[in-house]
Amino acid sequence: MERQNKGGRLAVTAACVVLGFLLALQLKSVQRNAAADATSASRLETLQSLYNDMSDQKEALERQLTQTQAELEQYRQQAASSSTAGEALKAEVDHLELIAGLTDVEGPGVTVVMQDSSTVNTTGDEADYLIHDNDLLSVVNELRDAGAEAISLNGERLLATSEIRCTGAVVSVNGRRYAPPFVLFAIGNPTTLYNALTMRNGVVDVLGQWKIEVKVTVSDQLLIPKYNGVQTLEFAKPAAGEVE
Amino acid sequence: MLELSGLLLGLLAGMLCPWTVPAKWSLYLAAGLLAALDSALGGLNARLKENFSLKIYLSGALGNAGIAVCLTWLGEKLGIPLYLAAVVVFGTRMFQNFAEIRRELLTSTQKKDKIKQDVVFKLSRDTKSGEK
Repeated sequence: MERQNKGGRLAVTAACVVLGFLLALQLKSVQRNAAADATSASRLETLQSLYNDMSDQKEALERQLTQTQAELEQYRQQAASSSTAGEALKAEVDHLELIAGLTDVEGPGVTVVMQDSSTVNTTGDEADYLIHDNDLLSVVNELRDAGAEAISLNGERLLATSEIRCTGAVVSVNGRRYAPPFVLFAIGNPTTLYNALTMRNGVVDVLGQWKIEVKVTVSDQLLIPKYNGVQTLEFAKPAAGEVE
Repeated sequence: MLELSGLLLGLLAGMLCPWTVPAKWSLYLAAGLLAALDSALGGLNARLKENFSLKIYLSGALGNAGIAVCLTWLGEKLGIPLYLAAVVVFGTRMFQNFAEIRRELLTSTQKKDKIKQDVVFKLSRDTKSGEK
């Protein structure tokens, strides 16, 4: 009886040791996990403020760019007025700027408004009902095929180098992010553009099967803004000699 | 007293222990913790009532902890929070054990008094009868 009693006492003590150990461990872990959550929250705040700073900086630079471009235009005019050669050069520069998308352009064309599907989700996959980067790309591709001379997406001029890429819930164009509804302006022959988009089994038809709203309207006068940034070529250089 | 010092020793060891448990295993640890709590209180209760059996105690303590952890694991696999079963059972038992310990501790002095009274009464009667 005495031995049993002693063993029991030890067993209960052992249970107490285990209890204390687990208790302390759990307390510590819970505290640590809560601290980790707090850290990620503060990191989020830091990143947000960094983002805000960068975005302010970007706006300031854009303003600076507009100013510099205006100055450049003045210099060009001065240079052109001084000689006929200068005048010809200026005409050439203007023409190239028009093609490159560095000037505002206006003319007839079509307006395409695209909106995520508002129909009831029956396939279970939400992604089927949203506009994706490749939907936009196929519309833009169709417009280019139909001879669109200038295209803008939500006011962002599409250049030869412009990307249309999925970045999470939004789409990145020229490094700037845009959310639906997407409004595309395209200058070109209005009838050709309209028919190219709305033909049977065409882009609009296929997107319409998912009840994604695509509205194509013909416009007499569209204004497409110039590209708001600077293009620099880091790797491409004019070829030196004859290339076989 | 030995139990209390054991608890303190465990707490100290846990505090000084260099590693912590990741959030993923937190639930298992909690289930084990509840089982340990139940074992400690149940053992204390049995010892106070003096019907303690080492075999029953050890099998109960280890078995309960195992079942609690298994239930948690199974619940996670099935998507049903089965660990709640362990929480409810151990929770109720904790109150029960506490109530029994409390009663045992509070009435033990009365019992002793009663025994003493009886003994004194009997002794006095014996002496009285002896006088006769």
